[in-house]
Amino acid sequence: MFWRQLCNELLKLFARKRTYIGFAAFPFIQILILFLLRLPKAQKAFSNVLAGGGYELKEYYSGLTMGVLLIIFTFALLGVLYLALVSGDIVAKESEEGSLRLILSRPISRIRLMAIKWLACLVYGVTLVFFIGFTSLLAGVIYRGGLGNLFVYSPPEHLFAVFDTREGLWRFCCSVAVLAAGYQVVVSLGFMFSCFNMKPAAATILTLSVMFMDFVLRNIPFFSAFQSWFIAHHAVAYIRIFNEVIPWWNIAESLLYLWAINLSLWIVGSAAFCSRDFKSG
Amino acid sequence: MVSIRHLHKTFGARVAVDDLSLEIPRGEIFGLLGHNGAGKSTTIGMLLGQIFPDHGEAMIGGIDVFRNRQHALSRVGAIFETPVFYDYLSGWNNLRIFCEYTAPFDPVRGREIVRLVGLENRIGERVGNYSHGMRQRLALAQTLLPNPELLILDEPTDGLDPEGIHEVRNLILRLNREQGLTIIFSSHLLGEVQQLCSHLAVIREGSLLFAGQWQPFVNQERWIFLQTDRQSEAEAALLSAGLLQRCHPDGHALMAPDRNIPDIAEWLVHHRHRIQTIRPQEKTLEDFYLDLVRNESRPEGVDRLKAEN
Repeated sequence: MFWRQLCNELLKLFARKRTYIGFAAFPFIQILILFLLRLPKAQKAFSNVLAGGGYELKEYYSGLTMGVLLIIFTFALLGVLYLALVSGDIVAKESEEGSLRLILSRPISRIRLMAIKWLACLVYGVTLVFFIGFTSLLAGVIYRGGLGNLFVYSPPEHLFAVFDTREGLWRFCCSVAVLAAGYQVVVSLGFMFSCFNMKPAAATILTLSVMFMDFVLRNIPFFSAFQSWFIAHHAVAYIRIFNEVIPWWNIAESLLYLWAINLSLWIVGSAAFCSRDFKSG
Repeated sequence: MVSIRHLHKTFGARVAVDDLSLEIPRGEIFGLLGHNGAGKSTTIGMLLGQIFPDHGEAMIGGIDVFRNRQHALSRVGAIFETPVFYDYLSGWNNLRIFCEYTAPFDPVRGREIVRLVGLENRIGERVGNYSHGMRQRLALAQTLLPNPELLILDEPTDGLDPEGIHEVRNLILRLNREQGLTIIFSSHLLGEVQQLCSHLAVIREGSLLFAGQWQPFVNQERWIFLQTDRQSEAEAALLSAGLLQRCHPDGHALMAPDRNIPDIAEWLVHHRHRIQTIRPQEKTLEDFYLDLVRNESRPEGVDRLKAEN
């Protein structure tokens, strides 16, 4: 029955048009970014960075490089927003509309219902991230006419790396998987707020506020000693996949930290949900 | 079937339900009456384990709802005032989703129920295209899946046209007679409750005013409708002669316990009053209900009937 109920929850989630806003927005913004990268100033900046490392633009201005760039840009811009939007809705929207009362007149335990809804959110989160990964690579390949070699540059992570096509593609796939695993923390945060007695929009805004605060505080030098406490520090573990030697233990530690937070958020959200009264009006 | 004992619930400083105790017999259609905010929906919410009481207990089929909610609700179906479904899914998918929170969905039983509520031609359509009446029928269908013994219907005819109300009423009666379902029926439509329910509970400001069979109480009072040529003079004289107990300005009057219509007619004729109309007036549930909720003191006979029930 758990599997059937999870499938039903996924049907509810993926049959809604609202769920696809994220899927529709990403290809659009990817095309926009690729268009901006065609501008001479952007090309020159790109060329300068590569030249600084002794590499040529034509060798690394490739589909793979564009794919990674698109992921970094689009996810930072929109990924968190759409994950928060859907996860902030998952309980609060049903509570607001009233269908939750109908569900709670059924003999399903509240904990089980929370587990189903959380898992459905996670499936959405993973699907969205893989979709972004796939469309980023596809857009990059179409834009540059092939995969090519990979160049990754990320000043905040002190990263400057180049790889051949095979190694680059493998690292690209790994980074998308780590991104999918790491950013579920946004889903869990949205889910937790959604479990409290609040409007869906409030749950989404609170999730975005927490993520924004976390990002801002992490980048304030005064808090540099506390780097390892911030979600953003661990969530960017996917970029560390592009280090010359992949720091697997460090990445595993970050994912473990994030999943401990995920589980804690689920417990807090479920506890709040289980203690709530559901009444009309 | 359902037993509620000393349920008490407050929301902040407001007492929603105050020490409510009720017994609902198996196989009955039991009406729940009360004004807006009287505590009917809170009581239903507590019965379904959606609202936690401050104290008290609720049992369904002998199983405590707050200790073993899943087991207690395993044979319960419920609908609320405005049925909310997933508008972007078909009626059939909605039925399947709600049913599978209880047990696996049986398509054969599903089709049977869909036929019973008369939705067989539209069940594959998106619920967003359904009229209010169709949603109510879909709501009734979901309560009947998989196999309930108890239906809790909170305003099931709310917003329906007269034809829809008639259909729902007949369906409820059929379910009760043919399948022996126990039904808790909460409604503002007193005429509906009168036609459906043999037993009822009246709640005011969270407190129980009356519970039990209501017809004996209504039938035991002896109201008449009286019109004479000198109405006010006749009423005053009948009251002072001890033939009437109470008179209303609209012509309704309550006879004294040991008097009947021939006595009153004889007295009027003897005292040269011309009778235009005199007939027995049976009280409706509305009269009974309004007497109950408007009067601080309970209408005569209620406490006795409460004790009997």
